[in-house]
Amino acid sequence: MVNQETRAWQWIGHTILWLYSAACILPFLLLFISSITDETTIVTNGYSFFPEKFGFNAYTYLWKESADIFRAYGITIFVTVVGTAVSLVITSLLAYPISRPDLPLRNPLSFFVFFTLLFNGGLVPTYLIYTQIFEIKNTIQALIIPSLLMNGFNVLLMRTFFMTTIPTPVLESANMDGAGVFRTFYSIVLPLSMPIMATVGLFQGIAYWNDWFNGLIYITEPKLFSLQSMLNRIMTDIQFLSTNSALSSQSAEALNNLPSETFRMAIAVIGVIPILLAYPFFQKYFVKGITIGAVKG
Amino acid sequence: MKLRSKWLSIVLAVVMIALSACGGGKGDTAGSPNSSSAGNGGAKEPPYELNVAFAAFNAIPSNLKEVQDAINEITLEKINATIKLTPINIGSWTQQSNLMLSSDEKLDVMYVSGRNYTSYVSKGQLQELDELLEQYGQGIKEVFDDSFINAAKVDGKIYAVPSNRDLATNYGINLRKDLIDKYSVDIDAIKTLDDLDGLFKTIKDHEPNMTPLVPQTAGISFVDSYKWFDPLGDSIGVLPDYDNGLQVVNLFETPEYADFVQKLRSWYTAGYILKDAATNKDTNTALLKANKGMGYLVNQKPGMALQDSRSAGMELVTVPLTPAYATTASVTSIMWGIPINAKNPQKSMEFLNLIYTDKDIVNLLDWGIEGKDYVIESGNVIKYPEGIDASNVAYTLNQGFMFGNQFLSYVFEGDDPNIWEEMETFNNEAVKSKALGFSFNAEPVKTEYAAVTNVINQYKMALETGSVAPEEILSDFNSKLKSSGIDKIIAEKQKQLDEWASTQ
Repeated sequence: MVNQETRAWQWIGHTILWLYSAACILPFLLLFISSITDETTIVTNGYSFFPEKFGFNAYTYLWKESADIFRAYGITIFVTVVGTAVSLVITSLLAYPISRPDLPLRNPLSFFVFFTLLFNGGLVPTYLIYTQIFEIKNTIQALIIPSLLMNGFNVLLMRTFFMTTIPTPVLESANMDGAGVFRTFYSIVLPLSMPIMATVGLFQGIAYWNDWFNGLIYITEPKLFSLQSMLNRIMTDIQFLSTNSALSSQSAEALNNLPSETFRMAIAVIGVIPILLAYPFFQKYFVKGITIGAVKG
Repeated sequence: MKLRSKWLSIVLAVVMIALSACGGGKGDTAGSPNSSSAGNGGAKEPPYELNVAFAAFNAIPSNLKEVQDAINEITLEKINATIKLTPINIGSWTQQSNLMLSSDEKLDVMYVSGRNYTSYVSKGQLQELDELLEQYGQGIKEVFDDSFINAAKVDGKIYAVPSNRDLATNYGINLRKDLIDKYSVDIDAIKTLDDLDGLFKTIKDHEPNMTPLVPQTAGISFVDSYKWFDPLGDSIGVLPDYDNGLQVVNLFETPEYADFVQKLRSWYTAGYILKDAATNKDTNTALLKANKGMGYLVNQKPGMALQDSRSAGMELVTVPLTPAYATTASVTSIMWGIPINAKNPQKSMEFLNLIYTDKDIVNLLDWGIEGKDYVIESGNVIKYPEGIDASNVAYTLNQGFMFGNQFLSYVFEGDDPNIWEEMETFNNEAVKSKALGFSFNAEPVKTEYAAVTNVINQYKMALETGSVAPEEILSDFNSKLKSSGIDKIIAEKQKQLDEWASTQ
């Protein structure tokens, strides 16, 4: 009796999870299949999981355009790796001190970080400062520094982690063994903080990988386009050209020169694959982070 | 403190440059006449660098730098200035140009799109050009009929000049030539929309898998591609027949509009219009290429059928359905202006003058470098060099309609070599809308404007593609427009139009 009930629950639970997974995976699958569908078939029949005719035109075209695509890929990878690394270093270097109760001015500093979560300078002043004082327009820094490098939310997340999961006695014993502040941080705190590092690293990595906004504002030089800003540009161009009817006698030709639907799908596919590959590696730490929290209460 | 000292040093630097420039000038007048060209650069006023920003409709060319250098050779000699080309993808244009303007970034010459124009002017972001045109831009004035330059006037002053291209538009239908021939349709007999019925019926009967009429592209309704009124910018309050004694009326309440959507509905129910026309995402030529459609309504210009034939990969013919009209929108859609950021407006204007008068510069901007991106076939006609075609040419901009005077540009092989003469006649013979030169400033009614725009977006595509029965929907639409305040917008538009008319 009891056994049957559990079995029924199992069935229901599994069905729900199956449906949910399907809802997550099917769009990706459709994206992929659209990218290998024959161009004309898409126009005639629309998107389908079982296209009448496959075609790898999009990928051949991608290969032909590889100079641009791979440069964009390289930019994205560079920005993600460097950005995430630098961001982790400075985030932890700020989060750790404000997690220590013995730091003077600790509360004002925390408030200062918290304040940036609520208020920011607005787009035009930010742009003005970055372009005219720091002059980062059309440089690789423009993709790394503005709005992404340091995030108040991550700092507070890390601070809370340091405060709750690293026992103070451990730090005190390190101190008694003669470790200085940096030594303590480097040899004791960091190894104990891998879960939070991985979590924040993943947040940052994804933010950098997906970012197109900095590219939209600060970059006009095609050599510095990242993969996402390239895709974003294609999409906004299509939108602009097709909705601006006053220009239509001019824009018709441009519109027809734009990459086809399958090509756009193909770019999305190659843009998404690396981040999909990176997930499983971080998953481990994610779970660990949760269990550590659970055991230590 | 630090900032102040920085400013101080900038001021000092500027003063020193000005002083040295004056000194240099004197040196030049006394200078030796046989000084080499390299020596000349030092003796003369140092060349001014103009930052020229424009929207790129196509991929940004990989050899833009070479083109820029080639242009600089000409500009250095003619106006003692160099240029820096800053192309910005059209989709990001509004955002990036706004940031550049409001942050006072160095910007000397810029492309101005008609739909941003009034907003730039009301924010004071563009310089007045009347005097500059008079002094340094005579070449520009000679290119145009006065009415076209005046079309860009706001409150009696010019803030931007249109590029010389197709300044008017007529509406017509492009049709597949192979099907016209197959069913021996007499296209000369087609003069109005009603005459299309027979053609559509033939196609529907004989080609069951094909819809005769497809939309122009995503988000464009059939009213957008067939207008019998001057939209006065936005189709909220229009001038029927491009005149109407300057009485602004509500388009959606006119009997002509009701008739037109009724006509579309009858076509739609007869299966003459693509079933998903309201939500279609494909371009007209892609639909034709996929054998889905046979024709589409579109605003025309000379050479349009040829241009689209290339995109569709099949021969198309045009049947014009209206005469050509010039409206503020058709003239001002692509213009050039000098932003308020420009520190040397005289040089900016001199450069603008060059893109309307200098054939070499125009062709560099339009087609790239001779010998690499194109070769001259004969006279005015050019083609791709050996081994180069549309897929691997370096200079990909292909937007001659933007850079100054398109009539100075070469004609690509396959196009009509006399296209520019035809285009000029087309422009000059076009009926000029009575409100040509009027542009509406929606600022005083912006709340209503946003509400009305939302209502229009909600109904427009469904109604204007025949996807819904207009009987009940149209009156719904109109009552919602009324409650959102369309009358207030029309009254404001009428007021501005009357003011404008009184200054003409």
